[in-house]
Amino acid sequence: MIFNFEIIGVWVLVLMTLCILSYLYGDNPFYKISEHIFVGVSAGYVFALVWWDQIWPNLFGRLFPEYVGAGFEFSPIYIIPLILGIFMLFRLIPSLSWLARIAIAYIVGMAAGLKFYVYINSNILMQIQNSAIDLSKSGGEIFNHILILLGVFSALVYFFFSKEHKGTVGAISKIGIYFLMIKFGASFGFAVMGRISLLIGRFEDLISYSSYQYNYATPIILISMIVILGIWSFQSSETKK
Amino acid sequence: MERFFTIFGSIDRRVIFLLIGLSVLIPLIKPDWVELPIKIDNNTQIVYDSIADLNEGDRVLLSFEYGASTKPEVHPMAVAVLKHLFSKGIKVYIVSLWPEGPIMAKLAMDEIIASNLFNIEDGKDYVMFDYKVGGSIVIKNIADDFRGIYKQDYNKIPIETLPIMQGIYNVQDFDFVFDFSAGVPGNAEWVQYACDPKEVPLSSGCTSIMVTDAIPYVESGQLRGILAGMPGAAEYEKMVYEYLSNELVNNNKYINQNANIDKGKAFARMSAQSVAHLLMVIFIILGNLSYYYERRKKG
Repeated sequence: MIFNFEIIGVWVLVLMTLCILSYLYGDNPFYKISEHIFVGVSAGYVFALVWWDQIWPNLFGRLFPEYVGAGFEFSPIYIIPLILGIFMLFRLIPSLSWLARIAIAYIVGMAAGLKFYVYINSNILMQIQNSAIDLSKSGGEIFNHILILLGVFSALVYFFFSKEHKGTVGAISKIGIYFLMIKFGASFGFAVMGRISLLIGRFEDLISYSSYQYNYATPIILISMIVILGIWSFQSSETKK
Repeated sequence: MERFFTIFGSIDRRVIFLLIGLSVLIPLIKPDWVELPIKIDNNTQIVYDSIADLNEGDRVLLSFEYGASTKPEVHPMAVAVLKHLFSKGIKVYIVSLWPEGPIMAKLAMDEIIASNLFNIEDGKDYVMFDYKVGGSIVIKNIADDFRGIYKQDYNKIPIETLPIMQGIYNVQDFDFVFDFSAGVPGNAEWVQYACDPKEVPLSSGCTSIMVTDAIPYVESGQLRGILAGMPGAAEYEKMVYEYLSNELVNNNKYINQNANIDKGKAFARMSAQSVAHLLMVIFIILGNLSYYYERRKKG
């Protein structure tokens, strides 16, 4: 038997993976425990990371440069984000929660302003430009361009609700539905592919941690879980009776 | 036949989970049992050609936007792209916009260093930066004023002292940007906030689920090809493996002659992926037939 921090880490990893996978059998205490641990650890990890990697060096590093030593010079303008950040925390005090709206208004306004230009440029203008048929290309590419144009046009007609979908408009919108269905089908196919990839990753870890080197972590935990789940399942059905 | 499909329709979902699990597990344990050929997709070829066209000494910015949950899909492409870049003597700059990004980047770099394929030095041939929160805001800052947000590298060394950082002030100082993404911020934000406005070539490797959203950018040329999920990673690994094997024979000065070149992890995983897909297609067909017979029975 080998015991070190790496082995402990591996055992925790295997236990958490199998706990999550146990949901495939049904909702059970193993799944619940791992779910709660995951949420807690994630929140704590992100909080610590944001504090030490962002707020401490980028905000306090500019307000107290010599004390923090993050390489920034003193910049008094950073008092404004500090105040806005404190305002956000006032949401916890009902009588002062209105102050948080100032910070939220700033964030929403700034994000909308930033997104406005880039979205119009990259997702509307450039996409419209590339939906046009380029007659200088080869036959196959021209056909693809026509198909894209037809897809864009018919899908837009489907979302045009100011006119009843009858006659020509109805026929075009129906073509739009088929294009949308193909898109959803492709998205679903890719989603399935992604999930299978993740399963492969988990299985690879479980296989590699089944060896003597890791004190047979996977088989020992798997068998223990099956036995405990079996007992739990039996006891639950007895209680229900 | 009708009875078979009716029984099939009422099968316990856990049996299907078990069969899918076995279809993944068996090819992983016994990879020799299922060996399927890998065909190179046009989008992967475009990515490969874009990087192959870069010259010695060019500067490439890599952005790591994935974590442990999407590592199986995206990590193999990160390792393959890094191998391709270092084999050409290209300078690599790594930023992370996801909390787990620096860990993934460190793992990828550790794998490259452990392979002993290249004589690379931190701060001279590559540089890593820590995670920055803010997503698209960070991308916008990288586009306009890189040094405004990054003062130190991952090892807390001031960037002014790093030789690799000479002449780097904004995204236009890079010859190429490559984004490994699994969500938001990801390739869409790089297109919108940095590479479209500043006209810097961008390519991306992403999870399968993101592909349909990214394809319009590829079709319009806003993204130079795309590595689509695990198949994209496997295809790229195959191309890089063949390239490195040839370069080793041709005495490429950036590749250590006594090093071993491995095929990569995604390559080995594709058999499991394909078998699972085949099984799912069979289930979809059988499920639909079962539904059809059930409806016919009800009249």
